[in-house]
Amino acid sequence: MTSAVPADGGAARNFDSDRLAVAALAAAVVVPLVVFVAVPLVAILRLSFVTPDGIGLENYAREFTSPKFIHIVANSFSVALTTTLVTVVLAYGFAYALRRTAMPFRRTCGAIALLPLYAPSLVQALGILFLFGRNGIVNRTFDLDIDIYGFWGIVIADVFYSFPHAYLILSAALAVGDARLYESAMMLGAGPARMFRTITLPSTRYGIVSAIFVVFTIVITDFGNPMVIGADYSVLATEIYNQVSGQGRMELGAVIGVVLLVPAAVAVVIERLITRGQHAAISDRSHPLTIVPTAFRDRVAFVYASLVCLAIAAVVAVVFVASFVTLWPYNMGLSLRHYRFDVQNGIAPLWTSVVVSLMAAGIGVVATVAAACAARWLKPLQAQFLYFLSVLPAAVPGMVLGLGYILAFNHPGNPLEFLYGTLLILAVCNVYHYHAQGYLIATTSVGQVSRVFDETSTCLGAGTLRTLRAVILPIVAPAIVSIGVFFFVRSMVTLSAVIFLVTPATQLAAVSVLLLDDSGNQNQAAAFSVCIMLIVAAALGLFHALARLTARRGARNSGAGAASGS
Amino acid sequence: MYLSLRGITKTFDGVTALDGVSLDIDEGEFVCFLGPSGCGKTTLLRIIAGLEKPDAADIRFAGRVLTDIPARERNFGIVFQSYSLFPNMTVARNIAYGLECRKWPRQDIPDRVAAMLALVNLADQADKHPHQLSGGQQQRVALARALAGKPEVLLLDEPLSALDAKVREELRAEVKDLQARLGVTTIMVTHDQHEAMEVADRIVVMNRGRIEQVGRPVDLYERPANRFVAGFIGRINVVRDLHGHPLAGIRPERIELVDGAGPQSDCRIGCVDRCVFLGSITRVVLTVDGQSVTLELQGRRDDLAPGTQIAIRLPERALMRLDDGPP
Repeated sequence: MTSAVPADGGAARNFDSDRLAVAALAAAVVVPLVVFVAVPLVAILRLSFVTPDGIGLENYAREFTSPKFIHIVANSFSVALTTTLVTVVLAYGFAYALRRTAMPFRRTCGAIALLPLYAPSLVQALGILFLFGRNGIVNRTFDLDIDIYGFWGIVIADVFYSFPHAYLILSAALAVGDARLYESAMMLGAGPARMFRTITLPSTRYGIVSAIFVVFTIVITDFGNPMVIGADYSVLATEIYNQVSGQGRMELGAVIGVVLLVPAAVAVVIERLITRGQHAAISDRSHPLTIVPTAFRDRVAFVYASLVCLAIAAVVAVVFVASFVTLWPYNMGLSLRHYRFDVQNGIAPLWTSVVVSLMAAGIGVVATVAAACAARWLKPLQAQFLYFLSVLPAAVPGMVLGLGYILAFNHPGNPLEFLYGTLLILAVCNVYHYHAQGYLIATTSVGQVSRVFDETSTCLGAGTLRTLRAVILPIVAPAIVSIGVFFFVRSMVTLSAVIFLVTPATQLAAVSVLLLDDSGNQNQAAAFSVCIMLIVAAALGLFHALARLTARRGARNSGAGAASGS
Repeated sequence: MYLSLRGITKTFDGVTALDGVSLDIDEGEFVCFLGPSGCGKTTLLRIIAGLEKPDAADIRFAGRVLTDIPARERNFGIVFQSYSLFPNMTVARNIAYGLECRKWPRQDIPDRVAAMLALVNLADQADKHPHQLSGGQQQRVALARALAGKPEVLLLDEPLSALDAKVREELRAEVKDLQARLGVTTIMVTHDQHEAMEVADRIVVMNRGRIEQVGRPVDLYERPANRFVAGFIGRINVVRDLHGHPLAGIRPERIELVDGAGPQSDCRIGCVDRCVFLGSITRVVLTVDGQSVTLELQGRRDDLAPGTQIAIRLPERALMRLDDGPP
């Protein structure tokens, strides 16, 4: 038994080194989350209570008694509610057509529906103005006087903008289904309408609720479209910008930020609570659906899906075309003159955006994958805390986060003040703005790696960090790449969070688009948008080519294996 | 004692998985943990591996206290049911992994990997990835990987359960052969009594977090400690109020069929309920004095149709006393 003493001492030492590794990883994840999410939020909350007479509710009292402010809140909610209703109904029909009918070109239609994700948010508004604006092709050609500016303009632009988000959620909900339920209903004599009402709708209710809240959050926090097409119709997101950037009224911006934070946060919390029960809906004993072609239904579905795709593609296409003509819609001669970019810094912001987006991709991958791995090894309660912190940004509108960054980092007392005005803070802001989505991709793919690998690796003598480096990270490598692409694309097109953080030296492409549009230079705004979309398209093309290449190499390996194995 | 377990207790959320289990294992022994699902056999194996932390335990290995030594320091090889090969590494890299972790001299690793591959007859598969191998091949690589680092103890967690019946039988023999050749102390968890009887020097029969009996396969079959063991290893007829015993058991193949000649004093008459032909044997279920009795006869029997009256004898030497054991 004398040997027990050194053995125990050695054991304790090594046990600690593994625990230390997990603790260090968790700290490396949690500290930045606190610094770059929690601290800016607290800064906004605090400022909203600061008045000339000390701490109090005076700012809120003043805003909520102002008829103008009440009007803006009402505007925001009417736009958000109307858009949500329209988008979810349209997207449900579209997802149904693609998932539950045998119509042709389902993959193509699905790809077209995602187009708005890869364009700066205000491109939708820009395209609609080229079509229906005062100097749009419709009004000019038919000498009409359609007034699209204001409520309906914002609603239409935001329907396009939020459509892909709703479509993705509803498509996932409609993709799974239990064939046994439909077969039982058919044997009991139910018709298609009754089956839809009693089986399809109830089984996709989580998806519908989720889509409603996601679209509502996106729309009420959207900034680009109301700026371009809203005219005098003010909403909360544009009002923050006007108060802060226009009039330097930080504390009023903070109050509006908090007001905007509440519905967004409530929507996210409800969405998470409701979708928690979703996983049990389909059991492993369910039989997958088989879609039987039905001529009439498939034809109707195809017509509907084509119309939706046509509308989505038209809005993007018209921006594309307008950027290449002399003066839309008066002189349709081809010209490259809009690509001269006589705006502050010219084309430089495009390259700045690329640099910032690459930084965001790198930082975003490290941050979210590290968080997902830390959550794997933490105790359940600690992992839940990490989950909360990681998905918290989903509830924070970009405008609010951006304002929080000014308050927190443009402050001499902050040791990180040196970050302010750098490209790094723009990248970091984008990472934490989209942290929740990146984290969910990471944690899903890390969660799919069987625990048996960890245990095997441990028994073979590996420490936690070696297991991570040699086993887990290589297995989730494809997901890591797609997380990087996600952060790159979001950073290229986002406007809301970074609008407060750019300086003349760190101007971003999406901001240039807004400035060009603001100065009445819609054609150049279109040209700049096209440049952004081309870079996004190039990044996505590169990613898919890479994915195909690795898939093919994998197939060749297994093919060789099968050949020599036989 | 080589590996000594004392008072191992483990509960999961208030449910007792192991209830004060004690066991000694000798060097070079092949021991099987056998029992129904939920009996605690896998938990016990995981505690020995260091993957699960017991609530209370005294585990000693070659005299050292093992209880607080983490899994990575124990140098115990382990093979799981399936899918435990690292999919991102070739077969050779999988086998080398543990050697690298345990800081083997770099120049020794390729030779050791080649030797292990030869040991499991997969020398030509070194550069394949796991998904290119069959299930049986994958488990042989997992075995080679677990043995490469010269582990003190080899732990097998139902390593054959996910395989086809045919492959399972082949590999069962291979595992036993390998263990005997290397002389490595081995513990295997299984719920398959045939598997346990074929490979184990000793079988530990477990039920509800406790050990019911430990012994050689032949001991467990011929002298089961209680009804649970008797019923789990082979089949048993439980006969009540016979020859004055409150409870006795007899194996189906030990019951004798009395042919032709007139009834003798120790004979009993039964009526055939069912007669099932199973290839090498025929299983007959009959009712004797209101009790159901199963007997197994060699070869095919066409003369025992349901309803047939037959005479059987229960030889005194074949009767086993059975404690009641758990209900």
